[in-house]
Amino acid sequence: MRGEFNRFNKNVLIFLLSSIGLIVFPHVYHLPAAVLGFFFLLLGWRFIGIWKPDWLPASWFVLLLTVLGVGLLYSQHQSLFGRDPGTSLFVIGLALKLLEIKTERDIYLITYLAFIVAASQFLYEQNILVGVYILAVCCTLFATLVCINSLQPRTLPALKTAAVIIAQAMPIAGVLFILFPRVEAPRLMLLSENHQAKTGLSDSMEPGSISNLGLSDELVFRVKFKGAIPPSDQRYWRGPVLTHTDGRLWTQSVHKDFNRFLDTPKFTGAPYRYTLLMEPQDNPWVFALDMPAEYQPPLRLNANNQLISTELPGKRAEYKVTSYPRYNTGYITKTEYQDATQLPGKPSDKISQLVRQLHGFDSPPETYIQQLLTHFRNENFYYTLTPPLMEENPIETFLFETRYGFCSHYAAAFVYLMRVADIPSRIVSGYQGGELNKIGNFLEIRQAHAHAWAEVWLQDKGWVRVDPTAAVAPERIEQDVNVDQQIASGIVTFVSPTPQTLVAFDWLKQTRQLWNSADYNWQRWVINYNSMSQLQLLSSWGIQNIKTMLYSMIGLIGLIIAVLSWFLLYRKQKSTDRTLRLYNRFCKKLARKGVVRSESEGAKDFAERVKVRLPEQSAQIDQITDVFIRLRYGQSSGQKDLKQLHKLVTRFKTED
Amino acid sequence: MNERWRRSRFIAGEKATDKPVVLSHRRIFILPTKRGLGFLVLNLLLLLVAFIYNNNLAYLLTFLLSSVFFIAILHSFNSLSGLTLYKGHGKSVFAEEAAGFEIHINNPTPIERYNLQLTLQKTENLTLAADSRRLITLYSTTQKRGWHEAGTVTISSTYPLGLFRAWSPVQLNLKVLVYPKPASADAPLPESSSVQSGQGYNKKGMDDFYGIHEYQAGDPIKQIHWKAFAKGQGLFSKQYGGEEPTEIWLDYDATAGHHVEERLSQLCRWIIDADKAGIDYGLSLPGHKVAPGHGPTQAQKCLEALALF
Repeated sequence: MRGEFNRFNKNVLIFLLSSIGLIVFPHVYHLPAAVLGFFFLLLGWRFIGIWKPDWLPASWFVLLLTVLGVGLLYSQHQSLFGRDPGTSLFVIGLALKLLEIKTERDIYLITYLAFIVAASQFLYEQNILVGVYILAVCCTLFATLVCINSLQPRTLPALKTAAVIIAQAMPIAGVLFILFPRVEAPRLMLLSENHQAKTGLSDSMEPGSISNLGLSDELVFRVKFKGAIPPSDQRYWRGPVLTHTDGRLWTQSVHKDFNRFLDTPKFTGAPYRYTLLMEPQDNPWVFALDMPAEYQPPLRLNANNQLISTELPGKRAEYKVTSYPRYNTGYITKTEYQDATQLPGKPSDKISQLVRQLHGFDSPPETYIQQLLTHFRNENFYYTLTPPLMEENPIETFLFETRYGFCSHYAAAFVYLMRVADIPSRIVSGYQGGELNKIGNFLEIRQAHAHAWAEVWLQDKGWVRVDPTAAVAPERIEQDVNVDQQIASGIVTFVSPTPQTLVAFDWLKQTRQLWNSADYNWQRWVINYNSMSQLQLLSSWGIQNIKTMLYSMIGLIGLIIAVLSWFLLYRKQKSTDRTLRLYNRFCKKLARKGVVRSESEGAKDFAERVKVRLPEQSAQIDQITDVFIRLRYGQSSGQKDLKQLHKLVTRFKTED
Repeated sequence: MNERWRRSRFIAGEKATDKPVVLSHRRIFILPTKRGLGFLVLNLLLLLVAFIYNNNLAYLLTFLLSSVFFIAILHSFNSLSGLTLYKGHGKSVFAEEAAGFEIHINNPTPIERYNLQLTLQKTENLTLAADSRRLITLYSTTQKRGWHEAGTVTISSTYPLGLFRAWSPVQLNLKVLVYPKPASADAPLPESSSVQSGQGYNKKGMDDFYGIHEYQAGDPIKQIHWKAFAKGQGLFSKQYGGEEPTEIWLDYDATAGHHVEERLSQLCRWIIDADKAGIDYGLSLPGHKVAPGHGPTQAQKCLEALALF
């Protein structure tokens, strides 16, 4: 075998090298360019070496390249442990090993290394496409092994064999996946990962900064409701609460984690129960529907009724939350009051005059709020995602000059004007609305749904949500932002009840929703499956402890192997069995005549005995016996003789 | 039970048989190869990566690979299962030559066998298409005269992934008779009553045409009556002779040599020479005599007598 290796290594090598290239290719997005350059250079070199073996480097040069590779690794990562350095290490090792393919053993080593590189791909991305891609490339790797183990390697049958083996392996892999006891690695073992640019709102707001977010269709989280889905104008997903301002920049209060005086709000009405599936974030914020009431660790509520996760936000996570749309947060604490009425300085005369004009100083807060909203609606204020820049006195400029702005501008101006009238108020940032995925029946909230609104504290009502944007652009709240179109044109339009655009985007939307639904289930059931969901799932099947878990795992695997064995092995031997069955039928026919074959009697001896009893049929008996012996002892090539035996036995009649 | 777990069963196989051997679960053994063990190490490594990063797709890949490992056992079994081996002929050879044993391999199943290895002393690789059979000759070097048994032929395969090796040791009751090694050609044929040597005989024989008779297997080509054959009258041999048909006796007791093997060796050489020359010869061994004659049957008879002496 080893000696024969050189005879066919060309085809195998082309196949192997292509698979290796495909395995490493997706790392283009994650690894340093130098490492990838090194890899693909060596891979290319090796490819050329298939036709020009003399051009391959000598061993001293390989040594030099190894030193170069180590140097490269060190210069790029300064370490060997962790995800990025580890992946680079294996990619560089693979590249170097490629230059030294001498025996079959080397090919195996390379294939195994390639499997590790394939697995490292999952440390970066875990979506369906990557999964399918890696599965396909694993298939080609196995096909390489099939090629090596065939005398005449043919790629297509080898690929087919590999695919069949993988398909047969899948049920067992599934059982192992579900039942293999999962233990979460201790935190210490989570080697530090460089955070990639992840999505998220920022913890401060300067009207103008959020417009960038408005144009991204990047997914932030998904929500699956147990029961009814709240109407669009109730879908306010609560994020950071911005209380402090210097006139331009709005930031969170330093007292946001004060829990001492926090009173639980009183909830009334019907609750919404839902599961939040958060995409990786930079911040530990969990965007709950206004107002979250019940949640489980690792979630906690801060002083602003915002849900915070105590876990690392860099991973996808799933949370179960219950919210009530009707609530009363009760009294306001002194700190809260101070924070919520803070102003950067004395308001200008122009602003004081506006507040006076809207009866801010001499009417109850509710009336003043209505007056202000009416002002926004009736004066020519416009909603736009591309407002002019407002560098100096942004609030004044906005209110009296430009009058073009989006949610942040309106929320900031509104809160500012409330505070001038000494009414406690604050900006809440988060997301509003969400796109309903009809196939999966869940909401998808994207960056384009980012929003900012205001909260005002009213006597006996507590913190009340007021959305000044709704006064200017009610469509923004009542209908969904048409994300597809918005991104295509850069201009916000709203989906009206009977628009032409809806038809145009219909099929696109449907395909996308189908895909998103599949993706959602993939995230939920495959990516987020962990020791806890395993425990839940298994206990719902009546598997309570690790012992029954292991037993059922072994039992199920045994069962699958038994079924597979039956398919693979038993059916192949059918022809042998059929031979015996046909012969037994022949014997039975004779038994009716009174000639019974004894267990130890050979077919030939039996035939002689029968011929004495039935001399007129001896020719037929001989024929049957001959064909049977040929089939039984394998000196025949099967199918044709089997058919003949069948015909002969069927025709054989014992006349009375 | 003891019989079942006998160690030799895994290496030497079941008792030798004349009947065709069908490879079934009783005869096929499977163990992981070094590469298979390497694959297990790979699996452990991947499991560790999946564990450290708590990565479900890495887990899934690990589990898929370990399932492939399990499934490979079945496919490995399938690479041999159902094949039938039965013995062909063995051709006699002289000692120290390689004896060839013919083995028929039949694949009565609809699956192609991509890489079969048959090992006696050397390994033969072959691919066997579905529903086909093949005759393969395996060689085994011989040392001394007498019966030479093929012993255990091992059929094995690492198809499809090379992670496992399935093998089956088969004893097919194959044996050949090994003749003594012929001595080097320098000793002339022993003198006999009327013949000096093969050469002399031929010269003399040519002189005296004796008559023609119908061709018999073993008649020297030189004596074929080609003219008659060309006329389409059939094959005839011309016969030459002096006063009597010539014959020699190869006598063990009259053969020079230090020991038995050397004498047998010399006798063997003479038989070959005499056969080539086409003279009638008889063999006389202590306790065994072969009447004079010529032709392949005569040579075979004599050589067999030597081999089994």
